[in-house]
Amino acid sequence: MSDSQERKLTRRQFIKGATVAAALPLFSNTLPFYGSLAHAVEEADLVIAQNGSASQLLQAAMAPLGGMGRFINKGQRVVIKANIGWARTPDQACTNNPDLFSALIKMCYEAGAKRVAVWDHTCDNYQFCFSRSGLKETAQKAGADIFSGHGRNSYKQVEVQKGKKLKTVEILRDVLESDVFINFPIPKQHFATELTLGLKNLIGITWDMEQLHKIGLHQCIADVNTVRKPDLVVMDAIRILTTNGPKGPGKTEDIGEVITSTDIVAADAYAAAFFKHPKTGKPFKPEEIEFVKNAYELGLGQINLSKVRMKKVTAA
Amino acid sequence: MKKAIPYLKRTIQALSFFFLLYLIIKTAFPLELKIPVDLYLRLDPFIGIITILTKKEVILRMLPAVGVLLAVVVFGNFFCGWFCPMGKTIDFFDRIFFRERKRSKESNDQAFRRLRYGIFIFSLVAGLMAFQVMYVLDPISLITRTLVIAFFPPAIFVFNAIVPQVQSLLPKNSFILSTVPMPVFKVNLLIFVFFIGILALGTIRKRFWCRYLCPLGTLFSIVSRFRILKRFVTEDCTHCLRCVKECPVGAIPEASPQEYRRQDCIACFKCLECPPEAVSFHIGLPRWRTVDGVDLSRRYVLGSLGLGVVSALMIKANPLQSESGLKNNRLIRPPGALPEEQFVSVCTGCGECLKVCPNNALQSTLLEAGLAGLYTPRLVPRIGYCEEFCNYCGRICPTEAIRPLAIEEKRLLQMGIAHINKTRCIAWDAEKICLVCNEQCSYHAIIGDDKKRPIVKEEKCTGCGICEHKCPVDGEAAIIVYASGVQKKLKPENGNNSKG
Repeated sequence: MSDSQERKLTRRQFIKGATVAAALPLFSNTLPFYGSLAHAVEEADLVIAQNGSASQLLQAAMAPLGGMGRFINKGQRVVIKANIGWARTPDQACTNNPDLFSALIKMCYEAGAKRVAVWDHTCDNYQFCFSRSGLKETAQKAGADIFSGHGRNSYKQVEVQKGKKLKTVEILRDVLESDVFINFPIPKQHFATELTLGLKNLIGITWDMEQLHKIGLHQCIADVNTVRKPDLVVMDAIRILTTNGPKGPGKTEDIGEVITSTDIVAADAYAAAFFKHPKTGKPFKPEEIEFVKNAYELGLGQINLSKVRMKKVTAA
Repeated sequence: MKKAIPYLKRTIQALSFFFLLYLIIKTAFPLELKIPVDLYLRLDPFIGIITILTKKEVILRMLPAVGVLLAVVVFGNFFCGWFCPMGKTIDFFDRIFFRERKRSKESNDQAFRRLRYGIFIFSLVAGLMAFQVMYVLDPISLITRTLVIAFFPPAIFVFNAIVPQVQSLLPKNSFILSTVPMPVFKVNLLIFVFFIGILALGTIRKRFWCRYLCPLGTLFSIVSRFRILKRFVTEDCTHCLRCVKECPVGAIPEASPQEYRRQDCIACFKCLECPPEAVSFHIGLPRWRTVDGVDLSRRYVLGSLGLGVVSALMIKANPLQSESGLKNNRLIRPPGALPEEQFVSVCTGCGECLKVCPNNALQSTLLEAGLAGLYTPRLVPRIGYCEEFCNYCGRICPTEAIRPLAIEEKRLLQMGIAHINKTRCIAWDAEKICLVCNEQCSYHAIIGDDKKRPIVKEEKCTGCGICEHKCPVDGEAAIIVYASGVQKKLKPENGNNSKG
């Protein structure tokens, strides 16, 4: 999708778009064929889908963004950065929801992806993470390749040109070479950084994760995100971990939402409000999460949700 | 038929060796093989006898060894010649590098042959007094340890070197090959040199190690005196001495090739390649008497015995083994290990647990546990940590020196306790947001204070060492796990956390 700006509008697309533009004011949203036209429309940059099964939530959340077809062209290679960092079971909400994970992979293939690869540089031993979380089986059943970043040959050293503190970092080669990069985080409480969200999830595409803590964790999270911006963020907030994060097990909360966005900072800014600030007891404001603020200052996205085209949809 | 036997034997030997290799390779995640991966060690009666005697209880896993011992009583020592993977290795190198030159004069190896009994008596006595020197010499333990510690890491190194080359040949991104973290073991060089030394003894005699040193071979040799499958030579013998030359263990005396030392014969049937076909094997009555036995004088036996006792006492009097407070508190034993004194006497140092550990956390000791604890496993968190949901080391330990524990039991076993070195910790000393240890801790044993500095809750710490392993401070970690002496059970966590 890096060439999305240069893509020319074909006649067919123009006619389609024009028809929709002309037809929309005439018909109400309840028209039965609305759904079939929806993929051509980009109504929002941040979509929150509620009430429904995992695959329904994903369908509903993708439609106002323009559908998966907006991001994936036929024959493209997709890389998903999932969160499989810990050897925990799915119900503990420390790793991604398997149903949503499966739906996401299938949606990528339906949109014409040639190959979907799922990556994570796990914190616990990858074999135990992959088997206990059930996500290896899920990915393989859905037809995706699943990889762990335990081998250093999978990485490529790159310079972080926009980085304030981080100058060079080793990033997964497959992520750098991907056509479409999807960030698939699960929001969790995190003692060191308060929360772990979409921006923090991308720490798992780097080799020397612990070193970032030494350099300055918050700024490094923002800096890493400048290297390869995800084309799409699908945030798995069906069940979130609210205590003992990020490894858990801790208390969980069933939010039942799937958030999709093209703007990673906006998605994080929205998801931050799921959690309560330990001192004030009020929901987190986006500015209170330092790495979100740092990412905003680096121009990675919009922290002010009032400036974001946001849409809430009901799935079922 | 007779001509096929040597080939058959060589094939079975090779298969036996590769089967051991296969089992060792399979000694890894997910450990789902139907056959026990430590099969060979469980079949070793020498290990079986000593561990059962020192542990003073029957180790069920070691019972197959009794079967092997009985089979040897009946059929003679078939194990060394047909199945021993160490014997195969020695045979192979003897064949390739150390072809025996023609000896001009008959040599008397009485002294050497006596040596094996001396070593056997010494190691048995010392072993029963908890000085496990003979585990170093036990062939099955030795070959397993050598393959795991000395040869497994270089194999991974080569694999990692080849992978990027292969990857570059493949079409881009079609298939991703990942290198694997190379396991490292501190004692690899020593074990390698020892192994090469044993092979090099082949320059003196064929199967020098098997004939004169191997304690398992000695045990088999003692019990195989009663064998009923015996060698017989007819009148047709022409004294060509071919069998004398061919015998890999020198069991046929040059003066009278009709005879043979029953106890030394490894039933390899090489002597069946007899030009006048005078040699045959069939069933005979068991007898104790044999020809050309070793002259085990009373002095010699008592000497070996005494040396064993004194050496064991030396070890016992060493501060590392006594209750002197000089114990190495960085010596963290694997989860479920028996109490230290028993552990060092039961652990054979075979290295299976080192191989199976998914994080390369277990390392072989050199002298950290004293000479008695040579090559026993210890947890070195800076190299790797103990994985929360793994109990593999206990599951594969052939002598149950590491007890097999259920995952839930293992998760609540305290091997050690983490301590924070506040002058090195970047959260305490440099006030950085770090808390890697808190984030990684599986047991909620590290909490952060209001300034986001880590604090250890000792009552929850199991000493798994993930904090020490992941600590981003260079060199020695800022959080270090110290052994807690005797491993003890922790109270289970309550509520939401107990599900694990």
